[in-house]
Amino acid sequence: MSHTVLVCDDAIFMRTMIGDILAQAGFEIVGEAESGVQAVAKYKELKPDLVTMDIVMPDMGGIDAVREIVRLDPDAKILMCSAMGQQALVVEAIQAGAKDFVVKPFQPSRVLEAVQRVLG
Amino acid sequence: MDLSQYAELFLAEAREHLSACNQLLLEWERNPTNPGPVGGLFRAVHTVKGMAATMGYAGVTDVAHRIESLLDLFRRNAHPASEEVIQLLFRARDALHQAVELSVEGRERELALAEIIAELDDAAGRVASAAPGGRVSSLPTPTPPTPPTPQAPGGPAAAPAQGRLVRVVLRPEAPLKGGRALLVLRKAQSLGAVYGVTPSPPELEADDFDGSLAFRLESSAPAEQVEATLRAAGDVEQVTVGGAEVPGPPREAASGAVEAGEVVRSRHTRVDRRRLDALMDLIGELVTARGRLSELAAERRDPAVDDVAIQISRLSSDLQTEIIQARMTPVWQLFDRFPRLIRDLARELGKQVAFRVEGKEIELDRAILDELGDPLLHLLRNAVDHGIETAAERRRQGKGPEGEVVLAAVREHSSVAISVADDGRGIDRTRILERARRDGVVEARAEALSDDQLLRVLARPGFSTAERVTSVSGRGVGVDVALTRMRALGGSIELHSELGKGSTFVLRLPVTLAIVRALIAGVGRERYALPLTYVSETVELGTAATTTVEGREAIVLRDRVVPLVHLRELLGVAGEIPPARRPIIVVEMGGRRAGVVVDGMLGQQEIVVKSFDAPQGTLPVFSGATIMGDGIPALILDAGGLL
Repeated sequence: MSHTVLVCDDAIFMRTMIGDILAQAGFEIVGEAESGVQAVAKYKELKPDLVTMDIVMPDMGGIDAVREIVRLDPDAKILMCSAMGQQALVVEAIQAGAKDFVVKPFQPSRVLEAVQRVLG
Repeated sequence: MDLSQYAELFLAEAREHLSACNQLLLEWERNPTNPGPVGGLFRAVHTVKGMAATMGYAGVTDVAHRIESLLDLFRRNAHPASEEVIQLLFRARDALHQAVELSVEGRERELALAEIIAELDDAAGRVASAAPGGRVSSLPTPTPPTPPTPQAPGGPAAAPAQGRLVRVVLRPEAPLKGGRALLVLRKAQSLGAVYGVTPSPPELEADDFDGSLAFRLESSAPAEQVEATLRAAGDVEQVTVGGAEVPGPPREAASGAVEAGEVVRSRHTRVDRRRLDALMDLIGELVTARGRLSELAAERRDPAVDDVAIQISRLSSDLQTEIIQARMTPVWQLFDRFPRLIRDLARELGKQVAFRVEGKEIELDRAILDELGDPLLHLLRNAVDHGIETAAERRRQGKGPEGEVVLAAVREHSSVAISVADDGRGIDRTRILERARRDGVVEARAEALSDDQLLRVLARPGFSTAERVTSVSGRGVGVDVALTRMRALGGSIELHSELGKGSTFVLRLPVTLAIVRALIAGVGRERYALPLTYVSETVELGTAATTTVEGREAIVLRDRVVPLVHLRELLGVAGEIPPARRPIIVVEMGGRRAGVVVDGMLGQQEIVVKSFDAPQGTLPVFSGATIMGDGIPALILDAGGLL
């Protein structure tokens, strides 16, 4: 059975791109969220194997969403999607419980490597 | 030996260390029980002391020595620092800084250090007698190697120097190495206790962390398993466990982790700024000569000359790229001075402010970075003084008592955006609207101010809505300074403000000033250059419909009204009026547009921007000057000024 993924990003463009990269590698995109609040709600509902999480999102940011999700499920596997210059935020996200991170602009091979590390 | 030739190098390096001291003290102040920053502070002061002694600056050496002695007590005993001690260390750092500057200027006689020295000695005495087994140390030289401090995140403070030494080198291309290093440490902790992480965790997060770290791991796992586990953190190039088991540079590994950073950094060398500037000027002249050569080659139609012209053209382009790269400087070199400033300001105003810096590794041409200090200072002061509310007021607004100010740099396509954001009270537009109506920035019946209009009101010289003028800032004055400076640099400012939520200023700057592509236009007998960054299109006067809007001549371009600027009139060019069909260059900046009417278009070319001290009374429409291929100078038009 393929792994299920919840993709969280406020930009449709980014969601589509990450979704495509993962779908082509055989993952099943079971849901998308465009805010931290939605990410937490969808996580509860879908219990995905993997979450990709943008850092900067409206309502509730990605880091707070990580905290909330890890509180609900300490084994949650969350991959942060960050940009250059967000070192401090990435560190905060890892401290909050994110398992790994990738840096925009995304290279499919690097995204998949990181996903393997998170799931492995 | 004549030491004066080293004074400048001493100054540059001492300043860096003193700036680092500020950062480390701030960190220690936030968390006085964490001894992490003490090692770094000790090292920085120790280095300054050593350099000053070499230069023969007795005063600097003496103060540095006393600071070092005090720090040494904390380093050895790792007990928390009192508020009083940290404040003293801030003052001592400032005294040291002043001593350095005066000494380099040859004004050592003006130094008055007795008071701070007495205070330092006094504090050292008290700390030593308070600490069990403590003693006032007169430091032995050279400093003995200290055992690695236990400082693993969450790790127990157990006996140091146990377990195996593990060294990890991240792949050079790995992004956000600090984040990756943290994942490596997490993996290591899954195997056993981790001690003595070098560089210390805060240093790992610094932007100049080079990706090589070392720590002690207390675990019975075999070396291969340690390596495999750590590699699973991703982007790991090399793992060395216990020195010999895994191939790697063995001497280095054995000689200790502290030197790891220095080995990598040694490929850098210091170059005098003036030398870089001189190189840039020479390249500028080369680019100009190259343009002339290409023109001549085109006239000759000789294939051999053509070949050489093309080759020289390519070589000078490569050279230009290299030298621009060499001039690029990470913004932290400027940003690092602000945390201390914000802290001092917040204390003075009795406010609670958390200051965050993002994108420290983003690079800008050094010439631009040098010009950014003042504008950023003004904007940050405004943010703390006028933006952030007092803790009591914030509570009433339902906010946390601590305000936040964020200074962030982001690389955009061909520019860099630097933002200063606060989560304070925002700007009250209703109050400013009245003033804007009175000053004619908006029409008398205008109901609301856009962000852009708001910025224009704030940027009027002398504008202030502050009920009181504090020693810190009066709103508007800073914005005025910032806007003028941005224009001179070919950049722009944006403002977003929401009442009760805060304000954000975004400064947008070209990555480099030195060489830009420009459109060359003729007016009368002169030529003018307009950087292509701001040119959106060209149309012909007479082909587009002209109209009059609010008393200004304008053209309608795809349903948008674009006001016209006749350069001939603006510059007071006399002489024969050219034909009606003249080119209009449409310039655009920050969403505003204007059509600049010129006599003729003379093509595009790369120009070398020379800074330009405009004489008093010059029209504010020029941002610099350049030399054309034929050696005749031309002025560079400033899009911001034309709008």
